[in-house]
Amino acid sequence: MPYFTRQVAPNGLIINAYIGVSEARRDALVAAQQAVPNPIQILGLIDTGASHTCVDPSVLNQLGLTPTGTVQVATPSTGTQPVMHDQYDTSLIIFAGQGHPPLVHLTIPVTKSELLTIQGFHALIGRDILSGCLLTYDGVNGFFSLAY
Amino acid sequence: MALEQELETYRANLPRLLENEGKFVLIHGDAVIDVYGTYEDALKEGYHRFRLEPFLVKQIQSVEAVHFISRHLTPCHTSPAK
Repeated sequence: MPYFTRQVAPNGLIINAYIGVSEARRDALVAAQQAVPNPIQILGLIDTGASHTCVDPSVLNQLGLTPTGTVQVATPSTGTQPVMHDQYDTSLIIFAGQGHPPLVHLTIPVTKSELLTIQGFHALIGRDILSGCLLTYDGVNGFFSLAY
Repeated sequence: MALEQELETYRANLPRLLENEGKFVLIHGDAVIDVYGTYEDALKEGYHRFRLEPFLVKQIQSVEAVHFISRHLTPCHTSPAK
């Protein structure tokens, strides 16, 4: 099982990842003779409190994405009434390091949410991604590992 | 609001779509195109048929699931949930 180990950062379980257009959108762009945007390198926070992966609008705007879905989202800010968020189809790649294949999702829906990049990340990596992973948190030594 | 017409179409057709609950419906404007077993298949067909025009892929649910995020985020919501 491929895996990687990282130090726990002051703001949490931070990983490097690339977000790009989904496989189907890439094919549509090619068919329309439009440029396919390069994947964007981001910092993602592994967040077991997020049921699904969320991405900051600044990243989605750079990819030129338009929504292809909607979902109801509840956060501490929304109170008792969930709000409808736009959903975008993307691809996500997390590189593990030398000798291990990357974790690749060629198509994954993400929700657009202002993540306040001053917090030091552009995406919340939610339990939709983690559902295929084994996450180990070593708080004593300040490390975490993700196997997939 | 993005996909407003498609959402209206989804809501209007939900009673009959529920026989395929859990699957994914592809909607373009006021037309329900088809139902697919996976999100990827519905998305692929959407881009194949409509290229870069707006379309909606939505999982068919009698009670729409809520995504939970335990952090404070500035909402980018499109409308109050119904």
